[in-house]
Amino acid sequence: MTIRRRLTFWYAGILIVSLLVMGVGTFQEISEQLQHSHRKEPSEHALDETSEMIFQVGLPAGVLGLLGGWWLTRRALMPVTKLTDAVKTIHAKNLGAQIPRTNNGDELDRLTEVFNAMTSRLDDSFKRIREFTLHASHELKTPLTILCGEIETALRDESLPQSERDRLLSQLDEVRRLSKIVDGLTLLAKADAGQVALQLETVRLNELVRDNFADAQILAEPQGIQVELTACEEISVRGDRHRLRQLLLNLADNAVKYNQPHGGVIMSLLKSGNMAQFTIVNTGAGISPEILPRVFDRFFRGDPAHESIIDGCGLGLSIAQWIVSAHGGTIQVESVPSKLTTVIVRLPLDTPAKTA
Amino acid sequence: MRVLVVEDEKKTASFVRKALQAESFAVDVMANGEDALLAAASTPFDAIVLDIMLPGRDGLSVLRQLRERNNTTPVLLLSARGEVNERVEGLNAGADDYLPKPFELAELVARVRALTRRGSENKSTGLRVADLTLDTVTHKARRGETDIELTAREYRLLEFLMRSAGRLCGRMMILEKVWDYNFDPGTNLVDVYVRRLREKIDANFEPKLLHTVRGSGYVLKETP
Repeated sequence: MTIRRRLTFWYAGILIVSLLVMGVGTFQEISEQLQHSHRKEPSEHALDETSEMIFQVGLPAGVLGLLGGWWLTRRALMPVTKLTDAVKTIHAKNLGAQIPRTNNGDELDRLTEVFNAMTSRLDDSFKRIREFTLHASHELKTPLTILCGEIETALRDESLPQSERDRLLSQLDEVRRLSKIVDGLTLLAKADAGQVALQLETVRLNELVRDNFADAQILAEPQGIQVELTACEEISVRGDRHRLRQLLLNLADNAVKYNQPHGGVIMSLLKSGNMAQFTIVNTGAGISPEILPRVFDRFFRGDPAHESIIDGCGLGLSIAQWIVSAHGGTIQVESVPSKLTTVIVRLPLDTPAKTA
Repeated sequence: MRVLVVEDEKKTASFVRKALQAESFAVDVMANGEDALLAAASTPFDAIVLDIMLPGRDGLSVLRQLRERNNTTPVLLLSARGEVNERVEGLNAGADDYLPKPFELAELVARVRALTRRGSENKSTGLRVADLTLDTVTHKARRGETDIELTAREYRLLEFLMRSAGRLCGRMMILEKVWDYNFDPGTNLVDVYVRRLREKIDANFEPKLLHTVRGSGYVLKETP
């Protein structure tokens, strides 16, 4: 049934009910007047009687009409509100989810159908892009393997002049860098496609943080950066040990790389409610507020001028963000430009209920 | 020492063959799984380098078939997918080592060498290279008459290098054995640790023992 027809029926219903109320009220008033008509002078009370009739009969009918109208518009717009709410929840990650339909064949049901068809077409396109990235990174691996192997084979030649050797070594460095980028890209493409399974176990996060602290001290030593671990509470989380180590090392490495000589790095691991909170602060140049929301974007570099001196594949924070969200946690970056940059990671604690 | 290389990509197969031959291995190359199984059944190999993605029968299936036939030849799996799950799957199927593509040739050679030496590895508790000694029970290191203080991580690094003395150790291999990282962390952690270790065991002594093979990794040996 179309909306127009349905609305007409409902409106007719409201009118009939109002008329009925009015009719019944008028009937009662008139019969009362007929009973008393011989005792009173009708002309004296005619005005009073009329206003009483309007008050007792017209008002309820009017109120009924108003309430009915309000109900009618609400009822008519409800499917639109529902559709709006459903559409609001759609984003790139759940394009496959369909909005529930009423199946009553009206205009809005057809709109929902068209909308669902549109999101599934979008979903297909997104899938195709993800597959493309995944295939592209796989396809790149074979030529990279060959390139790396050929250069290494050439370097084995003892009679190679030093200048030639240096050139090949520089090429090899670039091939390695490319390999790292491709590795990172493959990992993220797989994560997007939901193809990376975590090897979940109970992980003593404090042990990983202590190990990471030791590694960070070594990494920071050449630049004279001081690394401190101010708190390390005994905390277990349910997670993938290798991925969590990758996350911690990644953050520590960033805190050192984007620091200033003789700067500082402060780490802490604390319980905060039902979450484990790992905080790492560095005294680097900081990140300006305009670019802060983009630091997790793939290949995003805050300061193009520093790009060449800081070696890395530009995917570190994207990978860190993926690891955190795959563990059901959150990661956030705060920065006071030219003073401090703080990265806060929150991961759900390993609760006995979850492991049971 | 005879090694079977199962790789369908011709160029990769060719430089792997050359590199292994340069290390005086005899190398047979097969381009598909069926041929590899036939070769493995008729010839005793000391190690097999097996690519997972092969036309027809894939590497994992070849590996399972080998193990079903009670063939215990050490197998190094190569894969372009490089997933942690795949690594676990490969090791469960009976592989002895796993190397994701793109790999470094030096890394591959070092791993094949480690596989063929398996069993004959130096398991004694007292390790020695020139006048550098390491006691794996007390974790004490000495160079000549001087005691050397090591942190836990430095100890593990030195122990690994000394157990593979004379052989090239690639960065990935060191990360795997000393740090238990199965991913490339993209840091120069290994280089920084090696530099520290070198300051402790080499700086004030002659001859130098810990050598860098540029672009490949490190080797601990008496003669450069």
